[in-house]
Amino acid sequence: MAHSQGWVKRYLKAFCKGFFVAVPVAVTFLDRVACVARVEGASMQPSLNPGGSQSSDVVLLNHWKVRNFEVQRGDIVSLVTIGHKNRYVKVPRGHIWVEGDHHGHSFDSNSFGPVSLGLLHAHATHILWPPERWQKLESVLPPERLPVQSEEECLLGSL
Amino acid sequence: MLRGVLGKIFRLVGYTVQYGCIAHCAFEYVGGVVMCSGPSMEPTIQNSDIVFAENLSRHFYGIQRGDIVIAKSPSDPKSNICKRVIGLEGDKILSNSPSDFFKSHSYVPTGHVWLEGDNLQNSTDSRYYGPVPYGLIRGRIFFKIWPLSDFGFLRDSPNGHRFSDD
Repeated sequence: MAHSQGWVKRYLKAFCKGFFVAVPVAVTFLDRVACVARVEGASMQPSLNPGGSQSSDVVLLNHWKVRNFEVQRGDIVSLVTIGHKNRYVKVPRGHIWVEGDHHGHSFDSNSFGPVSLGLLHAHATHILWPPERWQKLESVLPPERLPVQSEEECLLGSL
Repeated sequence: MLRGVLGKIFRLVGYTVQYGCIAHCAFEYVGGVVMCSGPSMEPTIQNSDIVFAENLSRHFYGIQRGDIVIAKSPSDPKSNICKRVIGLEGDKILSNSPSDFFKSHSYVPTGHVWLEGDNLQNSTDSRYYGPVPYGLIRGRIFFKIWPLSDFGFLRDSPNGHRFSDD
């Protein structure tokens, strides 16, 4: 009886000792030295993910090389961002999704979500001033902002 | 003799690595003690004050308007700045001094915050370098340890009128 209790106690002691060594060392290594990650998406083709959805590249993210923030032009880097939780947004019936042309500098649906049609005020159709910019405003949807699914169902949300 | 010395050196290196890693994890994921320098947060935080920063809020997106945060400097990634969060993403920010006739304002873009020091006359902050990405925030300062005459939780902003949502 006493022998098995001593065995359990020694096991727990060894476990805690190992845990408090292994976990901080592993976490520090992954944060400061290097870790691996799978590449998603087609934004870096043909360098990364040339096969598209068939095979995703797995890359080594080398923290140690950038510990002094030294990078050269042409380097492929990964950045810390607060990712938008929903990349794709379903615009509900009776709503519209509005965006300014200058991404990142526009307070629009990427910030406040879809807008109810009842709030629609007007359609800007022409530029009247200055005279050298007199023109009819064309309805142009940028090709990279086309809806992902059918028109009435879905609109590509934040990038 | 040599084996004894080598053994001691390895043990020393082992302990240094182990405690270094524990220190990294503690500061990165829990919090730590920070010494602030500079006049930009007076009177809330004076030069050479020692404060306690917690790093849990930024991982759980719990940073709010009015919090004092430590962040990496946008212009120099190796140094840190200590400012108050005036606006979160989407907030309307008065970007001109009150003396201008046409008050102009801008909106804080997504994924960014607007930081200002409490000592508005003597602070380089978002009024100078623009909105700061949320990813640069490292922790939230909430408690002052030194000097002992000012021991305790930190005060609210003395510049209440900068919060344009109120």
